[in-house]
Amino acid sequence: MQLIIYGIINSITLSLMSLGFTLVYSISRVPNFAHGALYILSGYLVWLFINKFAGFPYPLAIIVAISLTAIVGALIYRFILIRIRGMEISEIIATYAIGLAILEGLRWGGLRGGTFTLPTFAAGSVNLFDVSVDYQRLIIVGVGILTFILLYAFTRYTKIGLALRGIAQDERAAMMLGINSDMTAIVSLAIGSALSGFAAVLLLPLGNIVVETGYNVLIFAIAVCVIGGLGSWGGTIVASFVIGFAQLLTEAFISTHYQMVVALLAIIVTLLVKPSGIFGKQKELEERV
Amino acid sequence: MFEAFELMVFYENMIALNNVSITCDEGKIVGIFGSNSAGKSTLMYALSGIVLDIKKKEEMRGGERISVFGRIFFNGNDVTTVEPHQRARMGIILCPERRRIFAESSVMENLKIGAYLATGKETKENIDYVLDLFPRLKDHLKRQGGFLSGGEQQMLAIGRALMANPKVLLLDEPLLGLSPAYQDIVINGTKAIRDTKGISIIVTEQYARPVMPIIDFAYILENGSSVLSGTREELMDNPDVKAAYFGV
Repeated sequence: MQLIIYGIINSITLSLMSLGFTLVYSISRVPNFAHGALYILSGYLVWLFINKFAGFPYPLAIIVAISLTAIVGALIYRFILIRIRGMEISEIIATYAIGLAILEGLRWGGLRGGTFTLPTFAAGSVNLFDVSVDYQRLIIVGVGILTFILLYAFTRYTKIGLALRGIAQDERAAMMLGINSDMTAIVSLAIGSALSGFAAVLLLPLGNIVVETGYNVLIFAIAVCVIGGLGSWGGTIVASFVIGFAQLLTEAFISTHYQMVVALLAIIVTLLVKPSGIFGKQKELEERV
Repeated sequence: MFEAFELMVFYENMIALNNVSITCDEGKIVGIFGSNSAGKSTLMYALSGIVLDIKKKEEMRGGERISVFGRIFFNGNDVTTVEPHQRARMGIILCPERRRIFAESSVMENLKIGAYLATGKETKENIDYVLDLFPRLKDHLKRQGGFLSGGEQQMLAIGRALMANPKVLLLDEPLLGLSPAYQDIVINGTKAIRDTKGISIIVTEQYARPVMPIIDFAYILENGSSVLSGTREELMDNPDVKAAYFGV
């Protein structure tokens, strides 16, 4: 039972971590390798606000930090990615360099050691089927599911959401209908960055804010996306559950140290067996034709 | 109302459009006829501004060098350097060759994405209008665009373009690969759009015969140049045209 409950929690954690990456990739085809850096940046901003500015309320700090992260994402597109749009390798190098700059800049600026923590939203824990689960993890599951539902509704029932899906499927056809592809890319990076900041705010109270987490989050996000099929939303969620449970199983039966190995091994296996990922059917068809 | 003067487009050293001038007056249907590689699609890309986007992307990547010359006017405004999404905002909407439906979205969503420039009220009216125009789409509103037949996709593509409130509708090879029955539906629909909404239409096609009954004026392209132009009657009387484009 413990395995199932913590498996679900771990899976939703993973999908929250990778949602921003998937969203940006599926809409603007930009592999945002600064994803992990934005995650840590957002967590650090919250920490900064509540610890350095006395009397800054926690919820307000969260909102400001997520907004700032979204703005950073938009600026990355507006001033850097716009010049190299459509060249995947350049996009990877540029976003990875930005990520490195942010993460190592934070480290240089003093983000070292285990003293950076965020308070949990609600202290205490509850017993579910004889398994003790703390409130923070329950909040993660609840908010995570709510986020999926809201994003689903956003991309289906709002004008901007529909425009984003149009651009994702056929950029030029969408352009012919009056949708500005640079604008949608900026919006997608802003939303994607905000999502990674949002995930950080939810997940970081469970541990310390350390620079290494930024790299790990990026690796998890890439693992989930590759396994689920790049740019596929359903795939992201399914892959999160596959990796999430696989990690817990290794933790229970082998050793905790192999958690990261599971994610990387899963990438290798996926690339060997089904390179387009679990839900990458459409792309596979295109490649064949 | 919509005019292009001396358009020239080069892909590297290859000339795709050579000194083509065309005019489309308000409420008219203008045909552009020509065989494969005559420059029809390039002309449509130039008129809708997509060629500027192709050029920008190629330049960024250091790929093919594309040069565009000539002037395009819409309602007296020079739109030569206006980007495609802004031209769409002005009312120049291209319904592209091979339809380019959003394959993963349902028919309804395709229409709604097309309505990006329209207000909520206009969207409702336009959806009703499109479904009246092409009643067959009503049966498939929830189906994914990619699973429609070619004819249904073409109706959807035209419908999607109509959602954007066009003033000039550019139809690039709307009959490509359609059965004669669907050709009739699309052609009658095209005429109905002009008659009920007063939208000017420029339509390209390889074979002139199915389109000929509804056009007011036509240009014939060969190897990127406009070799002949005239009203429907003038072209019908021309023996060369008859032989080449009507298969008589």
